Amino acid sequence: MAEILAGLSAVLAWQVLGFLAIGVCLGAVFGALPGLTATMGVALLTPLTFWVSPEQGLAMLLGIYCGTIPSGGIPAILINVPGTPASIAASWDGYALTRKGQAGLALGINALASTTGQLTSIAFLAFLAFPVASFALRFGPAEYFGLTLLGVSLMAGVSGGHVLKGVLAGTLGLALALVGLDPMTAYPRYTFGMSEFLDGISFVPVMIGLFGLGEVLVQVSDRQSVRASTAAAIGRVLPRIADAKRMARATFSGAAVGTMVGAIPAAGGDIGAVIAWEQARRTSSDGDSFGKGSLSGLAASCSACNAAIGGGMTTMLTLGIPGDAVSAILIGALLIHGIQPGPLLFANNQAFVFSIVFLMIFASLLIMVIGILGARPLAKVLSIPAPWLWAGIIVFGTVGAYALNNAVSDVWAMYAAGLAGFLFRKMQIPLGPLVLGLILGPLMESNLRRALILSRGDWSAMLTRPILLVFLAATALSLLWPLIRAKRGAAGRNQAAIGDA
Amino acid sequence: MRHADTICGALLAAVGCALIVSGAGFPAGTGGLPGAGFFPQAIGALMALLASALLLRGLRRRSEGPFSIANMREVAVTAALLLAYLLLWGTGWFVVRTAVFLAIMLSLLGQRWIPALGYASALSILVYLAFDAGLNVTLE
Repeated sequence: MAEILAGLSAVLAWQVLGFLAIGVCLGAVFGALPGLTATMGVALLTPLTFWVSPEQGLAMLLGIYCGTIPSGGIPAILINVPGTPASIAASWDGYALTRKGQAGLALGINALASTTGQLTSIAFLAFLAFPVASFALRFGPAEYFGLTLLGVSLMAGVSGGHVLKGVLAGTLGLALALVGLDPMTAYPRYTFGMSEFLDGISFVPVMIGLFGLGEVLVQVSDRQSVRASTAAAIGRVLPRIADAKRMARATFSGAAVGTMVGAIPAAGGDIGAVIAWEQARRTSSDGDSFGKGSLSGLAASCSACNAAIGGGMTTMLTLGIPGDAVSAILIGALLIHGIQPGPLLFANNQAFVFSIVFLMIFASLLIMVIGILGARPLAKVLSIPAPWLWAGIIVFGTVGAYALNNAVSDVWAMYAAGLAGFLFRKMQIPLGPLVLGLILGPLMESNLRRALILSRGDWSAMLTRPILLVFLAATALSLLWPLIRAKRGAAGRNQAAIGDA
Repeated sequence: MRHADTICGALLAAVGCALIVSGAGFPAGTGGLPGAGFFPQAIGALMALLASALLLRGLRRRSEGPFSIANMREVAVTAALLLAYLLLWGTGWFVVRTAVFLAIMLSLLGQRWIPALGYASALSILVYLAFDAGLNVTLE
């Protein structure tokens, strides 16, 4: 208890809270601009923290981290351009709500569910850090392969009624992920002699192009903007009590999924959000509304991608293993401030751990307030003339894609993806599975091949790993679920017909 | 719309076959381990199979009408402008180049010249200040 109070008192200084507020606001800007990522924000501002105390420096960096992910959902909801890769799933239901004239409600749910996800994962960090981290440590290449296979199997679920086209788009994403050096032998594949392709196709420019530029071209073609279709309606921001009760299960199960996935190194909020969204869809009595403006679908994805923050921090602080690029930079910043993450941190400096916990709680609450108060002004973006909005999306998307690596090739990738996104929409080919395939493809291939090296080429040896078996069973269930559901639906209709007779 | 299924199915079936053939040319694995061509071939086979199903579905329902794009001229002009903007990347000042591109695009999409130029200039300066001056992203 004394450590908890010491941790709290360390952060209740106006300088620390001031740095936290600055970090959250900067994070909100980074998240809302497609192409600018949490990694970039934390990396750019880390040097600024060297001249202040560890609490002040960490407050700013954690503020950026906790502010970026929720605000990544804002452009995903308003203009169908995910601000961060973790917000892809938020665009599926969020943008559909905007088109229905419920942009305010979508932004409100984004703020509330994001904070719920963050706070849930922070609770895991505070009270269950070691069990969560030890579970994450049991992941070897075979388990990672199982996780990615489960992610790939969700392609059918996120296809929105066009299952064949969706799975085909996902396969195309997997094929695009083959471009670059072979992950095990560094043999160049499909690079066509161009050095720009050696590192593979970066999915952030592809994401901006598919969702952002593709949407602009569709609206140019249809000459119908979101504004015209919704009469610039914003609607209420906070959900009704009944809606909140309906979303509660999806929100908390999304938070649990996000925390666990976030705790696994290299598996971030993007994968967690998709898995949580699909899980919520499958267990919902109203699964057919997912992807068409479901409040529960939006809540599950927002909650999960934000819960991954606490999950990643748990692994980082307990084991000293970075879960993602942001955690890796944070470890560097902590080391510079003389703090060594790992089991000894919890044994020797518990007060500092609780300082981190309280900083994350305050950051999470602050971004919720900003999200709710800012929902109406932000939604006003829909009331500016559509061509002006398109110009903004194009220029911010272009410069955002370029800024990732200072490479024009990323802008080419974005524009090519934009054209493809336009044609795919016209042909009713879902875009979500393509991005899913592009993200998961390299992870799936490299981990399967690593697992086979460890088992000396013996495929059956992999089947002795219980976590992998759980993932394989979940994958099978995921693939068979549409058939089971259809059969149950048919059985229900037969029962009803017998009853009527 | 079903013509789109036919075209898309045929194209992706061809891509799938190309992946299978090209994957065979990559170095094979040793000691029973998959080589660099294993995944391209597996993905290619899956893609060819799924694309063939889409192709067959498209051929069966061909009577439902061809694939079309509304306002093709505006879309083509926007795409051409984007291509020109990209080809001119790195030439001249970012602010001027971007402002001119955006102003032309906005006017072609029915906006008045002067407000379009004003908005395009303001947006270009804002982006330049945020990225080049603020985040040290070299845009020139």
